[in-house]
Order: sequence, then C-alpha cells, then structure tokens
Amino acid sequence: MSEHVMTSKTIVATVRRFAPAIGALMLVPLLSLAQQVPAPTSPAAPEAAGKAPAQPRAGGGLGYEKTVPVIASGKWSGKRLPDGQPDVSGDWSNTIANHNNFTDPQGGIPGDPQARARTLGPREERAPSRVSDPVDGQLPYLPWAREKQQEFQVGFFQNTKPEYVEPLARCAPAGIPKSFYWHGYEIRQYPGYILFLFNSGSRIIYLDNQRHLAQNIKLWNGDSRGHWEGNTLVVDVSNLNSKARLGRTGDFTTENVHVVERYIFQDDNKRFNYVATFEDPDAFARPFTVTIPARRWSVEDKSNGWHYEVPLANNPGKPPQGDHFERICVENNGGFGQVAVSAGNTGTKAR
Amino acid sequence: MFKSKMHVPRAVYAALALGALVALQLATVPLKAADSEPNPAKIPRLLNGKPDFSGIWQTTSAADYDLEPHGARKDAPPGAGIVEGGAIPYTPEALAKKQKNFAARETTDPRLKCWTLGTPRGIYYPEPFQIFQRAEDLTVYFEFGDSVRTIHTDGTLHPIEADHEFWLGDSRGHWEGDTLVVDVRDFNDQTWLSRTGDFHDEALHVIERWKLLDANTIDYKATIEDPSIYSRSWNIEVYLYRHREKNFQLIENYCYTLDYDQFYPYPKS
Repeated sequence: MSEHVMTSKTIVATVRRFAPAIGALMLVPLLSLAQQVPAPTSPAAPEAAGKAPAQPRAGGGLGYEKTVPVIASGKWSGKRLPDGQPDVSGDWSNTIANHNNFTDPQGGIPGDPQARARTLGPREERAPSRVSDPVDGQLPYLPWAREKQQEFQVGFFQNTKPEYVEPLARCAPAGIPKSFYWHGYEIRQYPGYILFLFNSGSRIIYLDNQRHLAQNIKLWNGDSRGHWEGNTLVVDVSNLNSKARLGRTGDFTTENVHVVERYIFQDDNKRFNYVATFEDPDAFARPFTVTIPARRWSVEDKSNGWHYEVPLANNPGKPPQGDHFERICVENNGGFGQVAVSAGNTGTKAR
Repeated sequence: MFKSKMHVPRAVYAALALGALVALQLATVPLKAADSEPNPAKIPRLLNGKPDFSGIWQTTSAADYDLEPHGARKDAPPGAGIVEGGAIPYTPEALAKKQKNFAARETTDPRLKCWTLGTPRGIYYPEPFQIFQRAEDLTVYFEFGDSVRTIHTDGTLHPIEADHEFWLGDSRGHWEGDTLVVDVRDFNDQTWLSRTGDFHDEALHVIERWKLLDANTIDYKATIEDPSIYSRSWNIEVYLYRHREKNFQLIENYCYTLDYDQFYPYPKS
C-alpha cells in the first residue's frame, strides 16, 4: 500500500474534512454502549404493523429502535415520478444500530477489549438479528466458513494480519448489505436508473432488465438489475467481489454469492424494509435472509453526524432544504476510532 | 469544328465546375453553421424544457495527457492542446513547481493513487462518466474511483462556510439559454489538472459552460482562475462524445482498493 506523507496543511484539511466522520466513528462505541441497556423511560414497546415508531433521541443516536416494523409487499398508492416509478427519492438511514455486530446489532462486538459501562442484559431486550431466516438469527455457515468468521472476529482486535483490517477502514465501499447500516444515504431516481449514494461508495441500479456483466468481473457493490413490483423494488445482485465484511464480527460471504434484494416501501413514504436473500453455497449450508429497517430523514430532522449528514442549503428567503456534499474517502488516515486500527499496528494503515 | 467542339464542353465544364464550387460554398455555409451552433430543436430536453445531458460521455482528446500543445512522448500521444492561446499562464514560481511536477509525474500524479481527479480533470480524463439529470441537479458519476459530483441547479448558493476543501469543488449551476453555467469553488489542493503536473491550490475557481451541440456532442468550456498560481484566468474547451455502443455501461472502478484487495474476502491459499 502506498504511504501518503501528509503535510501539516493536509492534515488540517483532512481532519477538517473528516472531522464529522471521525467524530461519529469515535462516538460509535459510546453510543452503542449507551444503547445496550434500554433506558427506563423509553420502554421497548413492540410496534404494530405500519405504526409510526418513536422518533430518535436528540442527537440522532444510533440503534434507537428495538423492533422491525411489518411492511407488506403490495400496491403503491404514494406519489410517483413522471416515468411511473414510486417516488422514494431522498435521505434514508437505518433504525437499528450500526455494523458492530451483524447478528446481535445492539450487542456490541464480541471480544471488545474496551470496558463496558454495564453488562449486557438478556438478548430479548435488544433488537433482533439482521438474519431473519433461519429463525435462530444465526448465519448458516459451513464449518470451514464459521471457523474463518471466528478467526476474523478475534483478529479484528488483534489486527496482526492485513485481512483482519476491515476494508471499510481503508476507505473501501461498505458493500452489500453493510451500506444500509453504515451512516445515512441518499436515493436519487431517473428513468431507467436508481442511484444509492452511500457514505462509503455508491450504487447504480439498472432498471433495464439487461443481463448481468460477465461473471469474471467482480465488484464491491456488484452488478444490480432491478424492477418495481408495486411498492417493492426488486434487485438482482450478481458479480459481487464479497470483499466487504458484513460487520465487525468477521461475517463474510464469498465471490459466488447471489443476492436478491427487496426494498419494501411503506405507503406513507416514511419507512422501508430491506429484505435480501443471500445464496452462497460455497460458504453456507442454506440460503439466508437479511432484514434491515430504514426510515426517511428530512429537513424537519436536525442534521447529525450519522443518520442525516445533510446541512441546510444556502437558500436565503426560500423554504429550508437539505444540501448534499461530496462524500469522498481516499485517505482515511484517521483510522477507525481506535477500534479497527489498534495501537502498534503496522502495514495495515488505513488509506 | 471538332476542335471548337472540344472547347465548348470545356467551357461548360468550367462553368459547371464554377457552379458546383459556388453551390458547394453555399452548401457549406449552412453546414458549418449547423456544426458549430446547436440546433435547439435537435437536442434532448427534460420535461421542464432544459437541455438534457443524461448519458455516458467521454472525451476523445489527448487533454489529460497534456493540456498544452505537445508532440508525441513515450507517455503521451501528441495533441494540439485545449488551452485557448496555447500555454497556461503560470506565475514564474508556479511554473517552476509545474516543471518539478512534470519531472516526477510518473510517480506523483494523484491519479496513480486513484485519488478523485477533481474539476475539471475528471471531465476530460480518458474514462467515461455518466450524467444523471433532474430539474434540481445533475449527478456526474465518474467511473474512475466511482466519485460522484453534484451540480446543483435548484437556485441554491455556495455554502456560507467556504472551507470544506472538496475534491470536486462545490458546484452551483444556472441556465443561460441552453447553456449550463456552473460556478465551482472550495477545492482542496490535492488534485492535478493533467498528467503533466498542472496544479492549483485551494483558491481554484472554475466556471464551466456546458452546451449540447447535438444529441451526442457536448461542447465543454471552462475558465480557470487561481490568482497565486496563474497570472490571469485561462480557458479550455473540449468536446465530449456520447457512448452509443450497445450495452455500454459504467463499470465500477474503486481503483484505490486495488492495493489491498488481495486480502479479501480472505487471502487465497
């Protein structure tokens, strides 16, 4: 990896540029710690289908929800774009935790050497696994793959081999599905296309029903071919390089994974569930389904360093609107808030 | 008689030739006009009537190899240059730095690290980019590095805080007839303008003029200023051509990951 010697000027510029991101990264362990024990004043009431969930805490804390709302696939009666697509453009973010732990999203990272404020309570006090099928919430790894995942999970804190560094810490795209629980993101829609602009990486979804790229072309975000079925965007994802990890728990897939994503939008356009089926017989005994709830963010929400990194536009005399800045990470020398890149680590510096 | 007969056709030929020349002349005048001035009826438009730049575009020029006129080099095909007047008006100090950059270009060009190319370099870099356009903005999606630039056309102004030091600058556009005029400011100093080491600092200011000449050709002009680097502002112009090949598409190219992608998903044994 090429080393970039930074001048003090560059460091200032970089720190300034990444300050919100670095701040958010350092906050992550604190926030997730805070979330591990439900506050007595905010009972984890299960949500009825379609019922609006409680608003997030002030400051846009992560993982404020404990349940996944039920959103059924069906007709779309919300607003549409001139080309007929349901208009789901705008800013969105996850509602349950971040990428610390894939199957116990609010459970922290197993083996985390950082002292906890309080010990974890019973599992049922926290949000469910992102694995909604199998029902035990566990990834159905083949034995060799489970062994590898365990190695990565332990290695995450040891950082003694290059493959233990989470690629995201090196500015790689967060990939699929991690992009959906790694900061807020924006959807832009066009005739024939949907764009996802994530905090780390971007995706072009083609709505043209064309064939996938040749299978020897492997991509961080894969090759995405989608279509609408009522309120549901169905995307077939192929050509994944599977280099992005699913979380800080070492979870991974292989290059032969095939994903079918269903983005099921609620009619009021305020929420959607990401429900994706992963088939990867090289590493898993059976297909599994991942469910990630998301909600819309807008100018009524306060801009924050995680879910809604959207400042108000300079638009004097006009109604408030959000502004979208470039999200470019090519030299994330800030590392991962002392989490992924531990002290004394060499040769694995974040780019 | 026979001879004179020979002469008559000659005169006819001459007259015909002259006529043809005149006709050709007449014909070429409107043709030339059609070539350099866009025919408003023949360019694609959005529902709001504004020109629609949606599509995948790429230069065929040698601009990224060298913006100035240059003969063939081992590392560059020749090119007539795209700088109006030929040379970039560097200050003497800046010219010395550019020459230093030029000497070290094979190792220090930021493109070799796959850093975001910046503005305007991304536009004439020899790799395609795609424009996705709505009434309120144009999203310029560069294949190189998968970097995304938004040109806002919703009347919003540059942010009040002007020290973000963006890689691609902050782009606010407006329409002057069928020309999209974009004011781009608030850059970092990490990008080059070409492989030859042309550079700038944070005060770089770019004013772009995007115009469709026909459905498949964009006339891209930019005025570039940076008072501590150039003695005056200077202009470039390059044509961008639409990719029309069947099934042509951008292919993800997060090239800055190539140095470490061997380690993932796990090292091959």
